[in-house]
Amino acid sequence: MTSGPDPPPTSTTPGRPASPTGSFFAMSDDEEGEYNTITHTESGRGVKLLFSKSKVYVHPTPSAKDNIPGFIALLQQKGPRNERPTSSSSRMSTSAASSDLLLAWIPETSLGEAASIYVKVDLTDDESPPKQSYLVPPPPTVTTHRGSVGHYSFAIPVSAIYSLLVRPPSLGWWFGSLVINTRAGDSFPALFFHDSECQSTILQKKKRARNDFDPFDKDGQMFWGGDEVLRWLKRYIKIERSGAEPNIYLVEPTKEDSEAFGGKLTSSSPTQVGGRDGGRGASARGAAQAGPSRQSADGQMDPVMKFVKETGWNIMEKFSKVTTFTRRAAQDVLDNPNVPPQVRRLMRNPEVQTIQDEFDSARIYLARWAMGIAEQSERDQTQRIWTARDVLEMEDTDVGEFELLEASSLSLEERRRPVTQKEWATYFDPRTGRLSVTVDEVKERVFHGGLDAEDGVRKEAWLFLLGVYDWYSTAEERRAQMASLRDEYVKLKASWWDRLVDLGGEGEEGDWWREQRSRIEKDVHRTDRTVPIFAGEDIPHPDPDSPFAEVGTNVHLEQMKDMLLTYNEYNKDLGYVQGMSDLLAPIYAVMQDDAIAFWGFQQFMDRMERNFLRDQSGMRNQLMTLDHLVQFMDPKLYLHLQKADSTNFFFFFRMLLVWYKREFKWMDVLRLWEVLWTDYLSSNFHLFIALAILEKHRDVIMNHLLHFDEVLKYVNELSNTIDLGSTLIRAEALYKRFQRLVEAIDKKQNFPKPRVQPKSLTTTSASAATPASAPPASPLRSSTNAAQTSPGNAGKAKEEEQKKIISPELRKLLSRDIEVLPRKVVKTKGDGFTADSRK
Amino acid sequence: MSGNRNYDFLIKLLLIGDSGVGKSCCLLRFSEDSFTPSFITTIGIDFKIRTIELDGKRVKLQIWDTAGQERFRTITTAYYRGAMGILLVYDVTDQRSFENIRTWFANVEQHATEGVNKILIGNKCDWEDKRVVSTEQGETLAKELGIPFLEVSAKSNINIDKAFYSLAADIKKRIIDTAKSEPAASSVNVAQGEGSGGLGKCC
Repeated sequence: MTSGPDPPPTSTTPGRPASPTGSFFAMSDDEEGEYNTITHTESGRGVKLLFSKSKVYVHPTPSAKDNIPGFIALLQQKGPRNERPTSSSSRMSTSAASSDLLLAWIPETSLGEAASIYVKVDLTDDESPPKQSYLVPPPPTVTTHRGSVGHYSFAIPVSAIYSLLVRPPSLGWWFGSLVINTRAGDSFPALFFHDSECQSTILQKKKRARNDFDPFDKDGQMFWGGDEVLRWLKRYIKIERSGAEPNIYLVEPTKEDSEAFGGKLTSSSPTQVGGRDGGRGASARGAAQAGPSRQSADGQMDPVMKFVKETGWNIMEKFSKVTTFTRRAAQDVLDNPNVPPQVRRLMRNPEVQTIQDEFDSARIYLARWAMGIAEQSERDQTQRIWTARDVLEMEDTDVGEFELLEASSLSLEERRRPVTQKEWATYFDPRTGRLSVTVDEVKERVFHGGLDAEDGVRKEAWLFLLGVYDWYSTAEERRAQMASLRDEYVKLKASWWDRLVDLGGEGEEGDWWREQRSRIEKDVHRTDRTVPIFAGEDIPHPDPDSPFAEVGTNVHLEQMKDMLLTYNEYNKDLGYVQGMSDLLAPIYAVMQDDAIAFWGFQQFMDRMERNFLRDQSGMRNQLMTLDHLVQFMDPKLYLHLQKADSTNFFFFFRMLLVWYKREFKWMDVLRLWEVLWTDYLSSNFHLFIALAILEKHRDVIMNHLLHFDEVLKYVNELSNTIDLGSTLIRAEALYKRFQRLVEAIDKKQNFPKPRVQPKSLTTTSASAATPASAPPASPLRSSTNAAQTSPGNAGKAKEEEQKKIISPELRKLLSRDIEVLPRKVVKTKGDGFTADSRK
Repeated sequence: MSGNRNYDFLIKLLLIGDSGVGKSCCLLRFSEDSFTPSFITTIGIDFKIRTIELDGKRVKLQIWDTAGQERFRTITTAYYRGAMGILLVYDVTDQRSFENIRTWFANVEQHATEGVNKILIGNKCDWEDKRVVSTEQGETLAKELGIPFLEVSAKSNINIDKAFYSLAADIKKRIIDTAKSEPAASSVNVAQGEGSGGLGKCC
C-alpha cells in the first residue's frame, strides 16, 4: 500500500511526516482552528479529508480477480454556512452540515499523488479526525450511480443519502459490506471491507485487543471496517437504525421515514460521538432469543463470526467468494445438528469463563466446521461437479501453482460422469465379450468418473479392476473361470467346515483356529452394521455359545464370517487381522455372492497384505513414504509437523490400513476404492489422498495444532467430514505436481555434481511407527536421503529446492505396478497358523 | 491463549486388553456417558478427554484407547511410555481375555514407565449368565500382580467412574502430592505443556 518514496516537504511540522511539495494537497495545523492554510495549488481548492479507510473493494464480477481496491472516505467541502468554524470547541470545529459532507469511494488507481494522504489519514490512530487538515482534490460529486459507471468512483453528498445497508461479516458473507442508497432511489455498488488487508482496521483491532482482550466482549461485538464508517458519520449527523430492517441505517431520517421502517430502534445523534452504543437497545430486545443470529447491535458481528475472525483464521476467506455464497442465517447454525457441542455451548454462552474449558478444541472445531460450511454452500450454489480450477482457486496451498487437469478431449463434465452399465458394455466386443478399447481408456474413465452406484455395473467392473478377470478375456473364458472359482471356494470352505465337527480339535492348531473364529465372529458383528444389508438381526445365531447368540444375526453377517474363515484357510500364513472385515464388507455388499466376493477380496488382499504383518513393516513403509512425500511437496508443513512431533504420520495409520474406510461415508468408500483400484496414475495413489487431506487442512494444522495429540485428535475426527470429490481432484493435482517436480529434478541431476553425503535424518526417531520393540530397522531406513530439510536449514528456500532428492520410496510412487509381497515374507511376518512365528 | 488452562493437572491414562473386551465402550461410557452395543473395532489409536475433580483440584484425564489385537502391538506399545496409569481390561465372559492379562501385564512392565499405576478391570460384569471368570479369580490375579481390581459394566454403567477416579487418585498421590512435599522435585509439573510430552513423543 505504500505509494513510493515521500516527496519533499513543503511546510515542515516537527514530528509529522511531511506532505508533498507543490502538489495538490497539504496539511495545516488545526490547532489554530483553521484548516485551509494550504490548498490545492492548481485550482486553489481542495476538500478536507476527515476520515478514510483503505482496502474497501468493489466486486464488479463474481471473480475475485476483478475486485477493485479503493478507499472509502468522508470528505468535507467548504460550504457557505461553514466558512470558518470557531476554535472554541474541537467538536465545533469538526461540525459540518450534511450537505457539506461527502461520502466517497475512490479506487486506489485513481488517487494519484493523493494516495499518501489517504493512507496517512487512514492510519491516524485517533477517534477524532486528524488535528491537521489534509486536503485532497475533490472527487467528482455524483448523486446517482449511473454517472459513475466505469470506474465506480463516487462521492455523494451525505444529504443525498437516504440510507445505508450495512452487513457485518457473517458466515455467509465473509466481507462486511455497505451499500449506499440515495434519496433519489438509487443504490451504489456494494463496498466490501477487506478487513484483513486494511492496516488501520488491523491496528484498531489490535489496540482494542490490547486494551481489553476478550474474545467475547460483553456485547459479543467485534470491530470491523463498517463500524468505523458509521462512527465517522455519527460524529456529524443523525443516523437511525431501522427497527424493521436492522441492517438499514437511515441517514437524517424524517419522521415519516422512521415510522415507515417500523419504528425507531436506536438512534444516535451527533452528540453521542464515537459510541458503539447503538447496540444496547437491540441487545435488550434480543436478549430473550440469545444466539448468534441476533445481528441487532450496530454493525455487530455474530459471535461465531467474531470468533472465527478474531482468532485470525483466513480459512473462510479462502473459501468464500461473496458472490457465490449462499447466505446462511446464523440461526441455522444453531439448528444444524452437525454443530459440535463445544461450539453450540460456546455460542449459547459467550463468556470467557465458560468457554475456557473448550477454548482450544472449540476454535479447532470451528475452523474445520467453517470450512465445511463454506464448501457445502459452494456445492449448493454451483450444483455442478467441481473442477480442478474450483478447488484450487479456493485454496492457497504452498505446494505451488497447479497444472490444471483438463487436458482431455472430453469435457470435464463428461469425464467426471460415472460410467454406467450401458457405457461399460460399449467397451466390449458384443460378439466375443473381449475388451475392444485399451485398458487405459477404461481406467481413465473409472479414475475420473467412477462407476454408476445404482445400475449394478460395479458387480462386473470390480472383478476387472480387482484383477479377478483378465482384461482381455472373452465372455466365455470368464464364465469358465467363474465356474472353477466357485468350485474352488466350496473346497476351501469345506476345509474349515471339517474343523467344525470337533470345533478345531485338540492341540495348538485347534486353539489357534478357535481363536481366529471367535475373533472373526466378534469383528463381523461390529462391521458396517449401519449399512442396511448388515443391519438385521432376523435369524437366530447358529452357535448358542456365541456372545451374539442372544441378539441374533443375519444371513449376510454369516456369509461374511464364512468368507473370512475361508480366507484364513486360503492364506494360512497371514491369519485374520482386524481391519480385514472392513475390507471385505464393501466387496461383498456389491457382489452379494459369497464365492465371487471371496475371490475379489482375495485379490484385494494381495495388495493389502502388507498392512497386516506382525511387525507392521508394510504400514511403516507407507507412513515413511508419506513422510518423504510431505517433506518433498510441502516442506513448510513438514517443518511444522516436525515441531509438533508428528512426522511419524501415525495419525494416518487407520486411513492407510483400511483405505479410508472409516473416514468416508459408505457410498464414497465404494467410489474411492474403485478409483484406487484402477492404479491409473500410481498404485499408491492412496498416499496422494492422504497428502490431499493434509493439504486441505494445512492452515488449521499449522495455525492451531502444536502437539502430536492435537494433530492426532484433529485428523481422527475428520472422519465423515471429508468431501470425496474435491479430495480426488486435489489428489490428482498433487500427483501431477509431484510428477513434474520429479522430472524437473531428474533433468537437473543429469549434470554431474559433487556428491555430498546426505545427512542422516534427525527425525527418524520421531516415528511411532518404529518403536523400540520393532525388529531391526528395515532397509528403507538407510534411504532417508529424501528431500531432506533439517530444521536448521529452514527458510533457505533455494537450498531447499536444490536439496530435493528423490528417495526410492518417492520414485516408487510413480509406478503403477501393484506390490504383492512374496509368500516368503508373509510366512515370516504373518501370524497365520503356518507362519514361522508359530513354530 | 494457551495460558487458558482450566485444569490443575493433566493425567494420561491408557486402556489395554484383548480385542473385544470393551475398552472403547468403557471409555465412551466414562467420557460421554453413553453406550452402543454395535460398536466398531478400534483401528490405530485415539484418545478422549474428561476433566474430573479430585480433592478440589481439576484433573484433566487424557485417556488413550488402543487396538486390542496383538498384531498391532508393535505400534501400540509405543504409547505405553507416556502413560501415568494403565487400565488392563478383560471380559468376564471371555476366559482367554483373562488369561492374556498376564501377557499384557508383562508388556506393561517391559514398555511402560517404571512405577506406572495400574488397575485390573473385568468388564461385562452385568452379563451373569455368560460369566466364565469369577470375581474371586479376578481378585486373586490382581493380588498376585499387586494392583487394584474392579469389575465393571460399560453397558449398565457399573463402577466405570469408580475405576477411572480411583486410578487417577492413585496417580495424583504418587506424582503430584509427592512432588509437592519435596520442593526439590517441584519441576515435576505434570500439568505443564499439554500434549507436549508423554504419549505423543513416545517414539
